[in-house]
Amino acid sequence: MNETVNNTKTLPRRSSGQWLFNPFSFVAGYQALFLGLGIMLISAFIGFLGNTHFDGVLDVHTGLEAPLWVFLAEGIIDWMSLAIPLFFFGLIVSTSSLRIIDVFGTQVLARWPYIVTSVVMLPEANRRFGVYLISRFTSTDTSVTVGYIDMLIFIFTMLVAIIMAVWMVALMYRAYVVSCNIKGVRAIVTFIISLIGAEVLSKLSILLLFERLSGSLH
Amino acid sequence: MKLLPTACPACNSQLKAKSLICAHCNTEIQGEYELPVLTRLSPEDQSFILEFIKSSGSLKEMARLLRLSYPTVRNRLDEIIERLKKTESPEENNGKENP
Repeated sequence: MNETVNNTKTLPRRSSGQWLFNPFSFVAGYQALFLGLGIMLISAFIGFLGNTHFDGVLDVHTGLEAPLWVFLAEGIIDWMSLAIPLFFFGLIVSTSSLRIIDVFGTQVLARWPYIVTSVVMLPEANRRFGVYLISRFTSTDTSVTVGYIDMLIFIFTMLVAIIMAVWMVALMYRAYVVSCNIKGVRAIVTFIISLIGAEVLSKLSILLLFERLSGSLH
Repeated sequence: MKLLPTACPACNSQLKAKSLICAHCNTEIQGEYELPVLTRLSPEDQSFILEFIKSSGSLKEMARLLRLSYPTVRNRLDEIIERLKKTESPEENNGKENP
């Protein structure tokens, strides 16, 4: 049977570009979900080690020390905040029969570039330079001293973080197009609305999470 | 094997079959025959439909065989359905005009 199919012209070529920007042609459903959840777990653990918080669908910040579950919760909130509106837009706009597992599975896998961000955010130099910058802008005295190496690491980290954020948004969009079969202007408009809504929703949810956390610590 | 032309090279209108011949006894029949709707699809689309039927209409099986994700296969099928509807609609219009 495989041979018959291989002889047809329907088999696609898997270019490196497709793997980078549209892996959802090959991976979706439960496979994408478990792969994405595994990557989210690793990202959360690396974030926990470096106190890197993904405190919004697109946000990455170095912040306070927190228990591991907080980093995990942030990942889940970010994922759900976007996947839920995209799924509802899919139900309204698409003429295809959607599977919820495809929408949620591909969206969690689309977050994989943030594992790279969590790794490059690890060096202590980033935190040092961040504190230094804040002290310069707010004209407050701190005992933090930074060198050229710190500055170079910080610039490199910012560049990588921006590239990964753009890449992640591109993946999220492709995941939406493939899983909901929506194209053109309708896809772009509904995706942008969902992304803006998700950013607000995730920020508020994570803020509430931190309020609860600080309340339980006091 | 030569591909069956389905569109006019001059004006891109749908072609019709004018002559059919028996390869065994050379009997030739002349007339004006509509091409089946499926033959008007591209060879890639025809191949996809053939495999879909062989897979008993299972999108999951198709996805496994083609090494594609389920939604990609479903989207491809939806696109072919759309093309088929577009191909069929001129016939329906003609039918309404000339019952």
